[in-house]
Amino acid sequence: MSKKQAGFYIDAQRCIGCYSCAMACKNQYHQEPGVHWRYVYPLKEEIYPHRERAWMSLACNHCEHPTCLEVCPVEAYYKREKDGVVVHEQEKCIGCQNCIRSCPYGAPRFNPARHQAEKCSMCYQRLDAGLKPACVQGCPTYALQFIEDMASFDQSGKVQYLAGFPRFPELNPSVRFRPPREPREVRR
Amino acid sequence: MVFTDFSLVVFSTLAQLAVGLTVMAALQPRAAGESGEVKLKVEWVTAGLILAAALMASMFHLGHPSGSPRALVHLSTSWLSREILAFGCFGGVLVLAFLTLWKNSGGSSLLIRLTAAVGLAALLVSGMVYAPPSFPALNNGVPVLFFLLTAFILGSAFGAYFVGAERQGLLVKVLATSLVVGLVVNLILPSIWLSGGTVARMTGANFYGSWLYWLRIAGEFVVPLAVLGAWKKIPAWLPILLLLGEAAGRIMFLNSVVHTATNLGGLY
Repeated sequence: MSKKQAGFYIDAQRCIGCYSCAMACKNQYHQEPGVHWRYVYPLKEEIYPHRERAWMSLACNHCEHPTCLEVCPVEAYYKREKDGVVVHEQEKCIGCQNCIRSCPYGAPRFNPARHQAEKCSMCYQRLDAGLKPACVQGCPTYALQFIEDMASFDQSGKVQYLAGFPRFPELNPSVRFRPPREPREVRR
Repeated sequence: MVFTDFSLVVFSTLAQLAVGLTVMAALQPRAAGESGEVKLKVEWVTAGLILAAALMASMFHLGHPSGSPRALVHLSTSWLSREILAFGCFGGVLVLAFLTLWKNSGGSSLLIRLTAAVGLAALLVSGMVYAPPSFPALNNGVPVLFFLLTAFILGSAFGAYFVGAERQGLLVKVLATSLVVGLVVNLILPSIWLSGGTVARMTGANFYGSWLYWLRIAGEFVVPLAVLGAWKKIPAWLPILLLLGEAAGRIMFLNSVVHTATNLGGLY
């Protein structure tokens, strides 16, 4: 593991499914129509069988052992030593889409205008300037938070693999979730 | 995921056909004399041209083909880099064997066998490219098995063009065996997927629910097996039918196998 590993904390009890995080990412990077690096996925009824809904906001998980980095034939990906952020260098990308096929979380996306892959970079330029990622800053309920170092993050009550989020321990995705709570029934 | 890029279908099918032709050339006893040698040379040139067409088609898959030479830089972990190197080696040995054949110098039979071996190794490497963890149905030996079957089915079928009708015996046996194995594998595999996790089950359902799948079972396996059983030879139209069947199978392989990300928020 690199010296430090940054990550995302997704609190499904606070998330209201407003897509502000996805929109903040769009506003920051002006992605092509239809391309989104962060997206809000509703938990399906088979997992959360209630009239209320629950969501998880997902982008790149900046895995400890990223598949994208491993499979890229032109070494367009690298992992920053200082915080473990997985960065995609577009000037190196030849648009083979091998990373898109191989990432089990579907993080890299194809940009049809540039004919290249692209993905969340955890706003590393903002991190270097002492700011939080745009999606984290845009969340109105603090449901999406930035973890500066996974090693020192308080894990109590949190899980790495929420139901609805595929389990790939060999990748070790740098995300933690607080599972949604059962909705309370109010009787009148 | 909606698959719209046919360049991968063309590349993988033709490259495996080229490997299959060299394997059959290595296995097939030749007619003595000049006619056998000429047919072998023609077969070898055909395999080379088919491989060249396959490699050309692979360029159309890339968003930036001009950067393709750089795809060799990540041999340490990328199976795609290794695949490019493996097919490059296959092409190199194929050309070398042709030059030896052309000059009628010694060692050509050794080089023919070496070409076939390198081609089979390239198929193994190629299979690993298509077996990432994101496709639970393929994250195993299935891609390699599919690619080997393609090479043996198409190699033995198209190889019949380059031997006389009286010397088709071995090719008919290889083709019939490959078709039986292919039929069994293709019938059973979706059932195995249906007994797996949610995403693998979705893949199995996609296959059994597809008209293309059933058309391929009938057109590429049942009908050709009946023809081989009845005629004991490979008619000239059969390789074309098998090529179409393999292309249909490859479209399903690339389009109907479900990616884990398609079910985010659902059960796994």
